[in-house]
Amino acid sequence: MENIGALAILLALCVALYAAVASVVGKLKSKPYLILSGERAVLAVWVLITVASGILVYALITGDFHFAYAAGHSNHAMPTLYKFTAWWGGQEGSVLFWGWLLSSYSVIVVLQNQRRHRQMMPYVVAILSGVQSFFLFLSAFLVSPFEVLVSSVTHAITPVVDGLGLNPQLQYPAMAIHPPMLYLGYVGFTVPFAFAMASLITKQKGDAWIHTTRRWTIVAWLFLSVGIILGSGWAYHALGWGGYWAWDPVENASLLPWLSGTAFLHSVMMQEKKGMMKIWNMVLVASTFFLCIFGTFLTRSGVVSSVHAFAQSPIGKYFVGFLTIGIAATVYLILERRKFLKSESHLESVVSRESSFLFNNLVLLASCFAVLWGTLFPVITEALSDEKIGLDKEWFNRLMIPIGLFLLLLTGVGPLFAWRRTSGESLRKNFLVPCAAGLTLAAVLFAGGARSPYGIVALSFCMFVMCAILLEFYRGSRAIHQKDGVNYLKAAIELTHRNTRRYGGYLVHMGIVLMFVGWSGSAFNQNIMADVGIGDTVHIGPYAVEAVDFHTGDNGNYVWDSAELKVSKNGDYLGEMEPEKRLYTVSKQGLTHVAIRTRLNEDLYISLASVEQNGQKLTATLQLWVFPLVTWIWIGTAVLVFGTLVALLPSKVARQYARTEVVGVTRKHAVVES
Amino acid sequence: MILVSAAALSILVLTALLLVRETDLHKPTPVSPFQHLDERKAAIYENLRDLQFEFRVGKLSDADYQQTKLDLQRELAQVMAQADQLKSELKLSPQPVTLHEPRPTESVSAATRCSTCGATFPQPLKFCGECGAPMGSQQKGQRA
Repeated sequence: MENIGALAILLALCVALYAAVASVVGKLKSKPYLILSGERAVLAVWVLITVASGILVYALITGDFHFAYAAGHSNHAMPTLYKFTAWWGGQEGSVLFWGWLLSSYSVIVVLQNQRRHRQMMPYVVAILSGVQSFFLFLSAFLVSPFEVLVSSVTHAITPVVDGLGLNPQLQYPAMAIHPPMLYLGYVGFTVPFAFAMASLITKQKGDAWIHTTRRWTIVAWLFLSVGIILGSGWAYHALGWGGYWAWDPVENASLLPWLSGTAFLHSVMMQEKKGMMKIWNMVLVASTFFLCIFGTFLTRSGVVSSVHAFAQSPIGKYFVGFLTIGIAATVYLILERRKFLKSESHLESVVSRESSFLFNNLVLLASCFAVLWGTLFPVITEALSDEKIGLDKEWFNRLMIPIGLFLLLLTGVGPLFAWRRTSGESLRKNFLVPCAAGLTLAAVLFAGGARSPYGIVALSFCMFVMCAILLEFYRGSRAIHQKDGVNYLKAAIELTHRNTRRYGGYLVHMGIVLMFVGWSGSAFNQNIMADVGIGDTVHIGPYAVEAVDFHTGDNGNYVWDSAELKVSKNGDYLGEMEPEKRLYTVSKQGLTHVAIRTRLNEDLYISLASVEQNGQKLTATLQLWVFPLVTWIWIGTAVLVFGTLVALLPSKVARQYARTEVVGVTRKHAVVES
Repeated sequence: MILVSAAALSILVLTALLLVRETDLHKPTPVSPFQHLDERKAAIYENLRDLQFEFRVGKLSDADYQQTKLDLQRELAQVMAQADQLKSELKLSPQPVTLHEPRPTESVSAATRCSTCGATFPQPLKFCGECGAPMGSQQKGQRA
């Protein structure tokens, strides 16, 4: 079986290279047969990678431990779900998974565009297949998932009785889908990049590449967002260190393309609306793609030490080579075609939505650079002084909190400005209510005893932005209500349906605001660590936690200790909580299973560090936190996902492509100056 | 067994790649040389519609509205001029920049009253002069 798998990958590599070459040659020599053959090759690559992946997954599920990968990442005791997720749980499998996802995306692109974009498609296929070839090369020659276990004495294939199993930290429901979500995002940005470059190569007039890839970009961005938040949720619920973001290099790696992708999603509107920022959009879409590759490189190469230490391998230098060649080619192409990317209009006024988008882009890019710098700082210092100096969480927080707050403010300010120009009168009209609401909340918080400047500013900005968004919905709904006589809810739905992109976008902003509410709560966190025996009580904030009993057990996959705790708040009994600590039998790795009492206003979060015998007394070391407002991060994520899905729906009034001969006549300003 | 499977897989792939028949070639959707200008025009109409709506809901002052509307109309005129230039370059017979003759009663009424903003016009229009929304026969292409 392993031979068939390895052969399938090798064949897929050859066919992907053929697809790239055949498409370009077919286009240059005007041979439609060759172009179609190149597109068929894309389908053939998918079949071949699917065969290889099927063999690997079969080995993982059935426990075929003569495969080194199955022996390293699966075992008999693991539930079937985690045996399947072991496909992307290790280095070799995840590179194959990347390739399979890209291949699946490429097939969709080819099938969608059999009759459309025929000028661009050969180059789109060539670029997608080129990227595909790189990952297949890695799978075929450097990190093959089809290596077998060979005895060093007899040199015969020697399966082990049971495998090591998946990293226990990955045996968690959110973690099962966190990597595929991130990968769907990473890989998804390859499609807009391929269309953008194809548009440049073929000197396409207009914004066809943007219209075609708008949904691809939004879907990729959505997957990336969900992947990042799932990782954050996993850190919070499974790791037990009492937080959801630690500025770990691999966390940062996923944030980088998200930041540049978000900038791209905004700036692309400038191109569609006004034909501006064409070069900038090319730069952004290319940066996002290369940051996705860079993110995969950081995760997979082990170039910077991270909690994701499962990935140490020699593939780093190949990634560096691929990135260098790719970036050089892209820069050359953009410079060579810069005349085609001239703006069709200019910025009329600083006080306009265009300038707020510009600011948004600059700040997003600045934050992207800051995160990149902080992430690579250890590598840079090691290269310059032979000493690795890492930047800690505080450094990132000092820099990123103010940047994040400024971005939050821009989220609210943008929709209040009009396109092109906003007069003082319009400004007063639009800013009055949101500003008053924000300032009122700041005063209330201060009067209520809050003294954290960041906490107060963040929550006031959240109020400001929320008001600005609600005002947009209210004004639009009121107009429909007055005209059609429907109630406000129906009017709001009608409003959203008329322009799903705009109002879906506002819902996404609302989700971001709610997430900021959750993050702002961290300014008011409380935390203690305590050793408790049975019958002892520990207090944190309004909560009293009493240790009732300690338990231990073994279920074959892992042994565990747990603490049975009775929790009350201000004297009222709330219920029991039972944090757990596990030790996985085969891998000898530990895992904390925290107990969390979740409410909208705050979470009580208890982690069991250890249970030890101290003389006659059994004591448990507990870490307790109170996290105010943290639930709003997860609620905000749900709103963000909903808003993005709304933005993906077609609007009721679809954009029309008028015939060139027809000229509309306006009632007012009938004389048009040229 | 392995050799047979490998050979079968390879033959299958090669056949799929190399056996391309005339009938397999897809007929590409024709692309108008005016497409980029039509897209630009559609974007300007959309901007006009957005502008009208923002003015109606009270987000814009009258001065902002009038000035921006004039700017958009200027842009539209430039795009029209580019289309005319392209037409002459392509040696197409010049189309009169006039409206179609009134059609039967039903389409006339649809073409003189905008179903989006309710504005009415003395003569039929393809696009609303107030908000830029498609009118008359253009509306048939709209999604429900």
